[in-house]
Amino acid sequence: MKTAVVLTLAIVAQAAGNVYLSKGMRDMASVGPISGGDLPLILLRGIESPAIWFGTALLLAFFLLYAAALSWTDLSFVLPATAFGYAVNVACGHYFLHEAVTPARWTGAALISVGVVLVARSGPSGLAKRKRDHAGQECQ
Amino acid sequence: MKTATAIAIAIVVLAGSAGDVFLTKGMKQAGEISTMRPRALALIGKKILGNKFFLVGIVFMAVSFFAFLAVLSWADLSLIIPATSLSFVVSTVGAKLILKERISSLRWAGALLVSLGVALISLP
Repeated sequence: MKTAVVLTLAIVAQAAGNVYLSKGMRDMASVGPISGGDLPLILLRGIESPAIWFGTALLLAFFLLYAAALSWTDLSFVLPATAFGYAVNVACGHYFLHEAVTPARWTGAALISVGVVLVARSGPSGLAKRKRDHAGQECQ
Repeated sequence: MKTATAIAIAIVVLAGSAGDVFLTKGMKQAGEISTMRPRALALIGKKILGNKFFLVGIVFMAVSFFAFLAVLSWADLSLIIPATSLSFVVSTVGAKLILKERISSLRWAGALLVSLGVALISLP
């Protein structure tokens, strides 16, 4: 249950973070086209943009939740599970940023969702299982 | 595919997966986070920031990120992301071999589907 809550929060934080960051970067680009030489200017403008601050804070929150989940759950569970964020990002890009989503992308999002369901059904942690197995061996 | 692109993508994937594996090892060593009290969390945070595996993991992730930025400057994103989606499979292999995680066939199938799905999403 704890794993489900933390990973759901992580996925939401990552998707929202990407949307805000995209929005912030696009608002900046709309002022004028960006080239490599404008990097200091981009950084300065970025500091002034609340959307970029908020997006970055959300992505940091994602990383903290991801690392926290790794403290008790398998990497081979957490990694594919957080990939559900890609599918959420496609939906968010479509609904909030009004991006055109091709059939190939919707198919990709669907495949990821099925993959995440399979991983979720495999159970969150081999660690607890190992502990149980270990206890079982001691009893024998 | 140019040799430089292939090498850069290999660095993105391998360093990214190594980063995940080291990060996991560090977090497992620091112990399960099972409290919400700020003081206890601060103590755990201090322990994590002093953990060698955690720090090595962050360095690998940074290497992967900069290799990603570099390869973006000369290769197409629609080639890079499908190639880097391999990292879901490589990390799972790392989790099995290095972290000794038990990976059921269900979990392998899930990781493969996720990898395939991420590749499809990034096609133009």
